[in-house]
Amino acid sequence: MISRYTAEIGTATLTAGLGLAAVVGALEFGIGWGDAGPEPGAFPFYIGLLVVATSLGTLIQATVGRHGLQSVFLHKEEAKRVASFFLPMLAFVVVARLLGLYVATALYLAVVMWVQGKYRLVISVASGIAAAIIFYFALEVAFQVPLLKGPLEAALGLY
Amino acid sequence: MENFASLLHGFGVALTTYHVMLMMIGVLLGILVGVLPGLGAPNGVSLLLPLTFTMDPVAAIILLTSMYWGALFGGSTTSILFNIPGEPSSVATTFDGYPMARQGQATQALTLAFLSAGFGALVGVILITVLSTWVAKFALRFSSPEYFAVYFLAFASFIGLGAASPFKTVVSMGLGFAFAAVGMDTVSGGLRLTYGFNELLSGISFLIAVIGLFGIGELMLTMEEGLRFDGIRARVKIRDVFKTIATLPRYWVTLLRSAAVGCWMGVTPGGPTAASFMSYGLAKRLSRRKEGFGQGEPEGVVAPETADHAAGSSAILPMLALGVPGSATAAVMMGGLMIWGLNPGPMLFVERPDFVWGLIASMYLGNIVAVLMVLATIPLFASILRIPFAIIGPVIVVVCFIGAYTVAGRPFDLWLALAFGVVGYLFKKLDYPIAPLVLAMVLGDKAEDAFRQSMIMSRGSLSIFWSNGLVTTLMLIGLALAFGPLLSSALGRLMKPKASSAVA
Repeated sequence: MISRYTAEIGTATLTAGLGLAAVVGALEFGIGWGDAGPEPGAFPFYIGLLVVATSLGTLIQATVGRHGLQSVFLHKEEAKRVASFFLPMLAFVVVARLLGLYVATALYLAVVMWVQGKYRLVISVASGIAAAIIFYFALEVAFQVPLLKGPLEAALGLY
Repeated sequence: MENFASLLHGFGVALTTYHVMLMMIGVLLGILVGVLPGLGAPNGVSLLLPLTFTMDPVAAIILLTSMYWGALFGGSTTSILFNIPGEPSSVATTFDGYPMARQGQATQALTLAFLSAGFGALVGVILITVLSTWVAKFALRFSSPEYFAVYFLAFASFIGLGAASPFKTVVSMGLGFAFAAVGMDTVSGGLRLTYGFNELLSGISFLIAVIGLFGIGELMLTMEEGLRFDGIRARVKIRDVFKTIATLPRYWVTLLRSAAVGCWMGVTPGGPTAASFMSYGLAKRLSRRKEGFGQGEPEGVVAPETADHAAGSSAILPMLALGVPGSATAAVMMGGLMIWGLNPGPMLFVERPDFVWGLIASMYLGNIVAVLMVLATIPLFASILRIPFAIIGPVIVVVCFIGAYTVAGRPFDLWLALAFGVVGYLFKKLDYPIAPLVLAMVLGDKAEDAFRQSMIMSRGSLSIFWSNGLVTTLMLIGLALAFGPLLSSALGRLMKPKASSAVA
């Protein structure tokens, strides 16, 4: 169980970190006055500072109002549901990078339908493959937009 | 009247079989993304945008705006039938729409929603027709400092008018600007903020951000809440539709008031969501039947719907005439305009009048097409939500990632979309507003250019933002919008110490 307070602090720290990254990154390109007006780093530098400052504002606000933020941010049950959605999605991206988007689509839909949707394996696999084929015709044939492909498409000679 | 002649010319551009067909396709796709949870107007438009890169700009914008209208209608449908707002801007419609549907008045609720929405949109488009040339002519006098002041004004109004904590609004906006800065610097042409990653050389596309923040983030939230559709079976009966149409004039005060609220919130970047809530609140406060609100009061459907659509369509006005979009979806469309090689702003009216007036004319037609199509196809779309979420959810995920890949054909964007999804989930749960981030990503380069050119003009002195009446006025309005609510609440707290301990 995560409290709202922890989540606020975590997120504000994350945004402060991103702001700091912009500040540090901008320093490399000069933040002063160059031949052509302000140097490329100037705008990101001050934007980064603003993000850091307002993140600190949120941090202070959360710390001061800590008693009002003890409500639950994420139950165990909710966390399980989010994880059961997020992890397959993460796997989908990893597989898409390795085997291409079409194969990943077929696998992802089939596995999620079979494991989480409790459909029969045959129906799940058939639906996954059907979806991949529909996407192929809609994108590559109708709109002529190529998607990320992997070894399977290469073996089938589809480019 | 010069605008009227231009509008007639615009109808000539828009009224071809091809364009009307695109409108119908756009509206259907729009209703689809509006009905599906996790897919809303902003990321529906983002997903479709890469497919329009090769189209003629007039045809492409007609397709995208029609999708926008469709999505607004689709969002209201699920609010009424399922008590699930398909769009954030139709949350207020659930308050009275769903109770009406439960009392067996689904047809009445839907018809009222669609008609008042159509009315709101019409008022918005009329506003655009009347004002756009004037605003554009006015904006022709703008140079860099004035442009920067307008952008400042737009962002300041988010801070002042938004319901979220001002710190969170600024964080979200600042991150948007920072993401926009990654990659090529438009002034010097050099690279920056790439941290040595080749993947970041071409920058971070705002489309990826929208798909992640609105699409994947929203889906994660939906999954967390453990989605259950508890829908009401609705058959749209033609007789009830006509009966309801006859009752519409009864609500003329609400219609006009809500349209005015909507237009105001659409032109300023308050956006449709704020407009619908504000309009609902006003209607409830001013109604003679206050007790009925929340239990199926027709006025409670009319008010948010009118304002929602009035805001949605009038948000196009500042986008076209000033290059400052009034809503997240308008921001995405403006990004699209820039990708097609058009430069939104006053010069667009001079350089591409056929595009501008074709678009405005198509908004009249598109909304009529949308009202008719939505009435005809609602039973069909409502049945989509009866497909189990174990199928629909993953299909939406796949569509989002495929959409992310088609933006630029870069595998790295899949990771970016996932990362933005996680950020969107956290931001939504913690009440960080997302629209400022998207707006900042689209406007980032333009705002920075305006700022840097102003600095060059003034040799580095900030006083250029107070150098003439126009720019001073714009900056002062901006400052008043940003700090006004803060000051007034601080003053209120000083007057009444210890009165409230609420943390905003």
